Amino acid sequence: MDDAMLPDPVARGTVTRRELLEAGWKIGGGLLAVAAAWTSWEALRPLADVSGGGVLALKPASSYTEGTATFVREGRLYVTRAGGALHALAQKCPHLGCAVPFCAASGRFECPCHGSHYDLAGEWLAGPAPRGMDRHPLQVIDGRVHVNTTVLELGPPLGTDRVRLPTREGGCAPPAP
Amino acid sequence: MPMSRRRPWRVRLRESAVWRSIVRTPPLDSPRGRALRSFGNVFLHLYPVRVPRAVLAFRSTFRLGFIATVLFAILAITGTYLMFFYTPAVTMAYGDMQQLRTRIGFGQLIRNVHRWGAHLMVLVVVLHLVRVFVHGAYKPPRQFNWVIGVGLLLVTLAWSFTGYLLPWDQLAYWAVTVGSDLVHYAPVVGGPLRDFLLGGSTIGQAALLRFYVIHVAVLTIAFLLLMAVHLWRVRKDGLAAGDPPHAHDVTARAADDARIAAIAGAALDIAEPPPTVVTGDGATVARPVPRVLGVVPPDPLSRAARPPDDEVFSWPHLIVRHQVVALATCALVLALGIAFEAPLRDLANPNLTPEPAKAPWYFVGLQELLAHFDPLVAGVLAPAVLVGALVMLPYVDRNPSRRPRDRRLALAIFALLFGALVVLTVIGAFFRGPGWAFVLPWDALYFEP
Ligand code: HEM
Ligand code: FES
Repeated sequence: MDDAMLPDPVARGTVTRRELLEAGWKIGGGLLAVAAAWTSWEALRPLADVSGGGVLALKPASSYTEGTATFVREGRLYVTRAGGALHALAQKCPHLGCAVPFCAASGRFECPCHGSHYDLAGEWLAGPAPRGMDRHPLQVIDGRVHVNTTVLELGPPLGTDRVRLPTREGGCAPPAP
Repeated sequence: MPMSRRRPWRVRLRESAVWRSIVRTPPLDSPRGRALRSFGNVFLHLYPVRVPRAVLAFRSTFRLGFIATVLFAILAITGTYLMFFYTPAVTMAYGDMQQLRTRIGFGQLIRNVHRWGAHLMVLVVVLHLVRVFVHGAYKPPRQFNWVIGVGLLLVTLAWSFTGYLLPWDQLAYWAVTVGSDLVHYAPVVGGPLRDFLLGGSTIGQAALLRFYVIHVAVLTIAFLLLMAVHLWRVRKDGLAAGDPPHAHDVTARAADDARIAAIAGAALDIAEPPPTVVTGDGATVARPVPRVLGVVPPDPLSRAARPPDDEVFSWPHLIVRHQVVALATCALVLALGIAFEAPLRDLANPNLTPEPAKAPWYFVGLQELLAHFDPLVAGVLAPAVLVGALVMLPYVDRNPSRRPRDRRLALAIFALLFGALVVLTVIGAFFRGPGWAFVLPWDALYFEP
């Protein structure tokens, strides 16, 4: 039979040895790349954060009075009381991660990096942050405040104003442009 | 033998068998000898034997790529020195930086030179990019070398950024906190990617070690690989400034392309009868034909029709000019290192953000943008689009002309974008104070290099 009459290998359902080897190289190379990526990821992915996780048993609830923010170093968080309720607010700014200090003059959290402001309940007031301050679940057990630092809840969306707080003059970091 | 007849020891040394086995110095009195000078020396081999005379002009490249290369060498040397005294551990790093200043001879000077050299390298690489753009040197056949160049730019920025964390002071800690938190606005992959880079959700020991390894090993390897291709391509294609005048001319280009295709085709044509050679004893034998294992167009496009009479020898003409530029670069960073101290603030404190916390200056434009736009737009999309546009530029801009008056639109767009970047950077660096409030630099300057 004339060569030209042969159906092409794919149509015949057969492949030549060369084609098989070529495909084999490519598949093998691909598998190798996948294996390399997977092993690197397994080796280099962050280990579970062991430090700071757990439930912190803090002071009696009555010692956190209205309008105050108390920094808890072990948890890098603030315990605040605003509108009667207690909050455990993460110190890390939800914008770009700066440590947000409490400004006693204004009674607000004012981030020094890009001027995001939050009220005592961690609700967003001003600046480029995408949401209010992130927070940890807080429970009062036998009168004492317990904060679970293994769980981090995202802050309330912009415009949330559940806790109405009086505005004060003064400030530490001017609000963002 | 009388003393007077003895030749000077330097001459005798040069003529000794040992010396000649090390340095192959051909006589320089013939073109062949001068060419051998380049062929026979691995370092000079980086240069072609001959270059178009136009390349000698300073404004052909402003030597910016070369200066970047020299700065790399300076950084590699000073960086190696620093590695002897630096431990990438949060308990040690800051103390090591202090010791460089107080206990180690010239330690602070080396650190200063490394720091100012790094800043200068970012600046010079960006200017090199601008130069290549303005000259239109990214146009065929150099499109892909531009892409390699974008890779080198990213490596340079990553180098500076990872190095920024290493002193583990307040400046380092917070600049890198702000910088790396940007990543995490990228949809879906952002969070895991940032944690992967930092080895955790906050900047701690894992992050310091990772940044160190990336800084000294990963980026160095990536840089050397990219540079090998970058320089090799410059060597093969020649510099744009040396292209024959018709390189701007589309029809002549097409003819060139056809020639190249023909040459490449001929290289494959092994059926052609081999030429003969005459051996020592007068017999005519077939010249052994090298086997063809791949296609190598023997002559790059840009060289095809270059008139031979405007060429000069690289040695000494170009190489001496480069040596002068290299020395001037060394002198500049040394002077900077003597005049200005690299900053070292207080030990990094994760609970206290200094005011204001600024990213390193080359990212401060981005930070300024962040104050006006959503982080996803300003922190992720804007840089991604910028890098994407740079990579695609040589393939999108199909205008073959390199003459400024034929490229008004391209130049205008570039000037607009680059101008915006400069303005944002200047505002962010000099006109922003605590809480990112607007300040006038002559009232209070919040800029830390
Ligand atoms: C670490 C960074 C870089 C180094 C060390 C470097 C080095 C060099 C050197 C030594 C040259 C020879 C010409 C000269 O001295 O200017 C060159 C040419 C070139 N570079 Fe770079 N480069 C870098 C980054 C870049 C970047 C960011 C781009 C553009 C995106 C780029 C694109 C080019 C192109 C297209 C040429 C050929 C220019 C011509 O033919 O006139 N390079 N580079
Ligand atoms: S990090 Fe707090 S406002 Fe940007």
